[in-house]
Amino acid sequence: MIEISGVSKTFPARGKDAPVLALKDVDLRIEDGEFLTILGPSGCGKTTLLRMIAGLAEWDKGEITVNGTPVRGPGPDRAMVFQAFALMPWATVRDNTAFGLELRGVPKAQRRERADELLTLVGLKGFENRLPGQLSGGMQQRVGLARALAVDPEILLMDEPFGALDEQTRRLLQEELLLIWEKTRKTVIFITHSMEEAVLLGDRVALMSPRPGRILNITQVPLPRPRAAAVDQIEGSAEFAKITANLWGQLREMQTIRVHAGEEPAA
Amino acid sequence: MSVAAAKIEAPYKAGFFTRERLDSFLPPFIGLAVGAILWQVIATIWNQEFFPPITDVIRRLGELTEQGKILSNLVTSLTNLAIGFSFSVIVGVTLGMLMGAFRKVEMALDVYVYAMLTSPSLVFAPIFFAIFGLKNIQYTILGLIILYSIWIIVVNTAAAIRTVPIALIEMGRSYCATERQLFFKIILPASMPMVFAGIRLGMGRAVKGMINGEMFIIAVGLGGVAKAEGQRFNADGVLAVLLVIIIVAMVMQKLVQLLDARVTSWLPSTARQGKRRANAD
Ligand SMILES: Nc1ncnc2c1ncn2[C@@H]1O[C@H](COP(=O)(O)OP(=O)(O)OP(=O)(O)O)[C@@H](O)[C@H]1O
Ligand SMILES: [Mg+2]
Repeated sequence: MIEISGVSKTFPARGKDAPVLALKDVDLRIEDGEFLTILGPSGCGKTTLLRMIAGLAEWDKGEITVNGTPVRGPGPDRAMVFQAFALMPWATVRDNTAFGLELRGVPKAQRRERADELLTLVGLKGFENRLPGQLSGGMQQRVGLARALAVDPEILLMDEPFGALDEQTRRLLQEELLLIWEKTRKTVIFITHSMEEAVLLGDRVALMSPRPGRILNITQVPLPRPRAAAVDQIEGSAEFAKITANLWGQLREMQTIRVHAGEEPAA
Repeated sequence: MSVAAAKIEAPYKAGFFTRERLDSFLPPFIGLAVGAILWQVIATIWNQEFFPPITDVIRRLGELTEQGKILSNLVTSLTNLAIGFSFSVIVGVTLGMLMGAFRKVEMALDVYVYAMLTSPSLVFAPIFFAIFGLKNIQYTILGLIILYSIWIIVVNTAAAIRTVPIALIEMGRSYCATERQLFFKIILPASMPMVFAGIRLGMGRAVKGMINGEMFIIAVGLGGVAKAEGQRFNADGVLAVLLVIIIVAMVMQKLVQLLDARVTSWLPSTARQGKRRANAD
């Protein structure tokens, strides 16, 4: 279980830029095995929040605990999937996948076996010896996902993992992620810009507001599971339409308020 | 589009002369052949003492070799080059890495490195000569080779370390890499292309430093031979030595390039070609 309570973060002023209150009193609780999606406009502090949970960034106030233990840095219980893939261009797909294991000193034969197993799971069998530069974006993110799964973390932290992909690839990967999640039931925190993606994947959708970033509200998604095999059906359902429309209404309102307040709407 | 299509459809021979081999050998070969012919024709028509035809140069090269002047001096020069340049690479890369990794080291040394990079290193030759004297002539040459080549290696290495993508470092941290692991498994491999760019530039400069020292400070090695020929107004002799020097420089470049290609084989081929062009010094 992840518990975030009263977390605030201000980025100090730099040069001519005023200080940015990126997060203010964020409270959030994620149960074990839950798939939580975080939805919010650009610049509302989603990445900042996820990096904090990952132990990559510090905060000023509040507390973040994982299974009761305060987060003080990265840990083997959490693994991150990055928006820009963050693959090592000099290492093969297999070595990239096994990277977390290599850092932990797992013997070569063993990590190779584990990497190949996960590459098969994400549909990259036969590409083990390629370099990342030889793969499409979608395939590269599959490697990113395999790398995170390879260390068998309790918690997957995903920062707009499909944001850089085209629509078709994104849909395929959503289905695959659902399939994998339904098999492994890991705790997932998944950040996205897309309402459809948030609703399709999540058990709950946390909506964030911009500047200062706060959790505005949390929407339960009562769509049945398993969803992987029924994506089209789910997206065509009235329930799905209702939830996404509601989220869009709130997002649009945020933008309108900001425009009226004389601020640029987020891109 | 049509050009590319035509290229692909063009038939190619099998065997040793594959399309790829021909494509990489033919242009430089034709370039050299045309250059040699032009040289010969112009020199013959113009008929100037200081611009002898290439056949004379090659004949003189043969004579010098027979007199045993080329080989022994080539060995002297190459030995100096190997020692001096190795020193430059080892110390230069180490220093560059420290500067790239530690902001304070960089702030402290930046001024010196850039001053040395831009100042004409030959001005230090008399100083070296005064220090080492005639007894240790080799040290003066080594000093020049190092001064000519080390700074560009330092600067490139420091820049290479500084420009390692933050996203990769963050990825490493998120998988609990220690500082040591971050350095050896991410920073080091990621910086290799730029480090090698510096080494290749340094190689060219090392040869220049060596020849300058040999010609203008102490007549030893190949530079010494060139100087002696020059003093006797033997233009074909000077050019003969120059030819050897150019071949030496090209072979050394090729060696560094081969090593580079091995270490950074993961670079996409377009980036490699761009790099090669950028490296032409
Ligand atoms: N290192 C930093 N220094 C200063 N300000 C920062 C820093 N990182 C983020 N910010 C600011 O904090 C706010 C939140 O940034 P963050 O990257 O978390 O937003 P986000 O919700 O992930 O945006 P996006 O959807 O575009 O990825 C932004 O206003 C950003 O400008
Ligand atoms: Mg973000």
